[in-house]
Amino acid sequence: MSNEFNRRKFIGVGTVAAAGLMIGCNSKGGKTRSMESINFLDQAPDGKELKAGLIGCGGRGTGAAINFLDAGPNLKIHALGDVFQDRIDSCNKRLNEQKEVTVPKENCFTGFDAFEKVIDSGVDIIILATPPHFRPEHFAAAIEARKNVFMEKPVAVDPVGARSIIASSKKAEALGLVVGTGTQRRHQRDYVATFKEIYEGKIGELVSANCYWNGSQLWYRTPKKKWSEMEYMIRDWVNWAWLSGDHIVEQHVHNIDVINWFTEKHPTKAVGFGSRQRRITGDQFDNFSVDFVYDNGMHVHSMCRQIDGCVNNVSEFVMGTEGSSNCRNEIYDSKNNVVWKYKYPPKEDGSEGERVKVSPYVQEHIDLVKAIRENKPYVEAENTAISTMCAIMGRMSSYTGKEVTWDEVMNSDLKLGPDKYALSKVDIPKSIPEPGEGK
Amino acid sequence: MKKKWSKLLNLYLASFALGMIFLVLINYMMNVTSTNEFCESCHVHPQATQSWKLGSHVYNPSGVMVNCVDCHLPPSGIERFSAKVSTGLRDAYGYIFKDSSDFNWVEKSSREFAKHHVYKAACLRCHQNLFPPQLSKKGEDAHLYYDQKPDELRCINCHLESGHYHEAKDDIIDKRISNMEIYTSAAIVDSFTNFSETIPGSRVDFKMIAIPGGTFKIGSSVNDEFFSKNESPQVEIKINKFWMGQIEVTWDEYSAFIRVTGKEGRTEDQVEKINKKNNIDAITGPTPFYGNPGQGWGKGKRPAITMTHYGAQKYCEWLSIKTGKTYRLPTEAEWEYACRANSEGAYFFEGEPSDYTSIGFWNSIFGADTSVISSYVIYKENSKNKTAIPDAINDNPFGLKNMLGNVREFCSDYFSDDIYNKYSKETEIINPTGPASGKDFVIRGGSFKSDASELRIAKREYSKEDAWRLTDPQIPKSIWWYSDCNDVGFRVVCETN
Repeated sequence: MSNEFNRRKFIGVGTVAAAGLMIGCNSKGGKTRSMESINFLDQAPDGKELKAGLIGCGGRGTGAAINFLDAGPNLKIHALGDVFQDRIDSCNKRLNEQKEVTVPKENCFTGFDAFEKVIDSGVDIIILATPPHFRPEHFAAAIEARKNVFMEKPVAVDPVGARSIIASSKKAEALGLVVGTGTQRRHQRDYVATFKEIYEGKIGELVSANCYWNGSQLWYRTPKKKWSEMEYMIRDWVNWAWLSGDHIVEQHVHNIDVINWFTEKHPTKAVGFGSRQRRITGDQFDNFSVDFVYDNGMHVHSMCRQIDGCVNNVSEFVMGTEGSSNCRNEIYDSKNNVVWKYKYPPKEDGSEGERVKVSPYVQEHIDLVKAIRENKPYVEAENTAISTMCAIMGRMSSYTGKEVTWDEVMNSDLKLGPDKYALSKVDIPKSIPEPGEGK
Repeated sequence: MKKKWSKLLNLYLASFALGMIFLVLINYMMNVTSTNEFCESCHVHPQATQSWKLGSHVYNPSGVMVNCVDCHLPPSGIERFSAKVSTGLRDAYGYIFKDSSDFNWVEKSSREFAKHHVYKAACLRCHQNLFPPQLSKKGEDAHLYYDQKPDELRCINCHLESGHYHEAKDDIIDKRISNMEIYTSAAIVDSFTNFSETIPGSRVDFKMIAIPGGTFKIGSSVNDEFFSKNESPQVEIKINKFWMGQIEVTWDEYSAFIRVTGKEGRTEDQVEKINKKNNIDAITGPTPFYGNPGQGWGKGKRPAITMTHYGAQKYCEWLSIKTGKTYRLPTEAEWEYACRANSEGAYFFEGEPSDYTSIGFWNSIFGADTSVISSYVIYKENSKNKTAIPDAINDNPFGLKNMLGNVREFCSDYFSDDIYNKYSKETEIINPTGPASGKDFVIRGGSFKSDASELRIAKREYSKEDAWRLTDPQIPKSIWWYSDCNDVGFRVVCETN
């Protein structure tokens, strides 16, 4: 994983087209590089039935299951697993309402070991959508069992977990498995088209970038008497750093990943700060601002916030020597005139469209199923682990007030959360980080 | 016209046939000269053949056998051919003109030497998947590290033993001393004379030499041979009396510490926490080491090596608690004072570096008379590239052995290039302790690897905390053991009250 380490993979949008991307030359030699256009399918090709098992049946897990079913013919949700029965029930209910599917009782598993039972239930694909804390262990088990995997981002909450993901990812590659990771911008047609333009040199060499996830407060839960502390924390997971990684990791990783993708590398150090202004439960911050520095001296500013009533912005921006771009659908010259625009399919009334033809949440499953059925495997996990690690690096710097380098995080033994999982008290420190010294 | 064509055709066919025969011959020669039997016909080293058979490249569950040239030649291409020719010539020369029984096989199987005849590309040709099933957690971490920095490491940095198997000879509990008396109390010392310390609860004793107080001039002068700028300016320093270990801390001594203190504690925080809990009536000691700290040379009275500066310090703390005295590492000034023992030259014995060094035209061709230096130190010329039991070595005038050789020694000071310069600005320097902060620590004296020019009393070196942990695959890396340094140990001093 030197800076050259997975240049090809960073460029890859994670689809089968990745292999064809490095055609042409590097623009540094004065020659332009070119990239094949990616032929996105609107539906996955037909083939033998593929059975998926869903681990983590909350909102996103259920959503991912539905996206999977929407991806093409002959796809089935075969098993469900969650720590809590009520989540399985609500998932089944939504599947029934929207897709007329019900997973039979004998294929539904509860408890902390539900993931093992789902993996062993005779499925081809594992969908991992629990709080990210559990991802490294579940992913390792799925790969050990030689299953294809779709897992939601982020893929870890700490360096130990992120390293485990990278190691499992290498095993998956050796085994020829397909792994998609829920960084859906890499499967979003407008983003991919914009990437192609920038890759081919439309704005010259990249010199800086910004990325933002400034949004509203997410949800929270109030403790209930019948809940143990563990149950409460898991139900309130987006507010606890050991479960979510804090929102810079949990949510903002999307935008950091886009910058890694477009710059074809990752930062080598970070200095950040953040604080907690209005979050109600948990031990997390609700705002971060991080300066990421790259080996060539490039700076990338990342900011994220989860506070209501402020100006919101979820986007990315890259600046090149000959122009700039919002990474999503427009490219500007040095005077900020639009010089290129992604052409969306027109609306039904014939007016100019605003949306890609296929939702990226479905597209990523189409790409996954296509790769399995056409036997052209790809593994996105390492890229996403690296983006996750960048976000962790930013968080560690913000929590401590110190500069944190890539080498430090890659060699850190930081592991969040308890060693064992049980529905009882959770024996971990629960204080909100206070960087720096003084009153 | 027709004749001319057929002539050309014949010529063409003939040269094609010749070329083919040539290629077949080359290939045949390459194959014939690549069998194990062919290798062994020149390489007379039955022990290597045997250790290869015991190693995992022959003795393994898959039944696959990896042969000499699979590791000891580049895997393919012109590199393979040219390496074959050059090693072939060298080996033929060695076979005719040298006696294989004179070779130092221990030295040749060390990492530094092995890397010259094991090719990384050869390892990777077969080991294409660095994340196979059943890879341990440590293995995962180590291979991820390698993956990040492939140029920093070679496979044999960690997998030295996989080609040739050597049974570990280093029991941490030395059977040799298991019949001896177990001491129940520490030595009682009531006057400032030499004494024998006894470590309670162990069978270990060691000799402490009384070093009288005095003044001396630290460093070297510009006119001295092999002078280095960080040894100047020379400064007069006053040192109070103290005791110093006659020899470098041995494996017997350090093992006594490991045996009773070895615990979990991989970071300094953890160790300090455990020690605090124990009210400092006990010290938490080293975690199990990675690899073979004794290097397969045997332990016992040989100097203990590969422990970190932190591990050496913790040993002193433990020894202090055990004996009720104050043991610690020497300061740099104490070390040089004790080594000089009132002498002022390059060595405390006769001669100058240029008399003994094997660097330089005359000495490298004709050899130097090294009988004097060899009687006072274990160094490159008499060590066979390993540490030695110090018994046969002569004392310095204070009665200390191997101050300049066997292993380099930790001091308690942080290293700073210009510390003598700072001292020189003071009016009087008494018992100086070096800079207040820093990263690397002072190391003094030469080792079994050093040339005579590196054995000068004044020579200053420092620890390399990062480089010496390079191949430690653990995360975090051990605070107790260096994975990549085998020629540094330490000597204790005891304070007088």
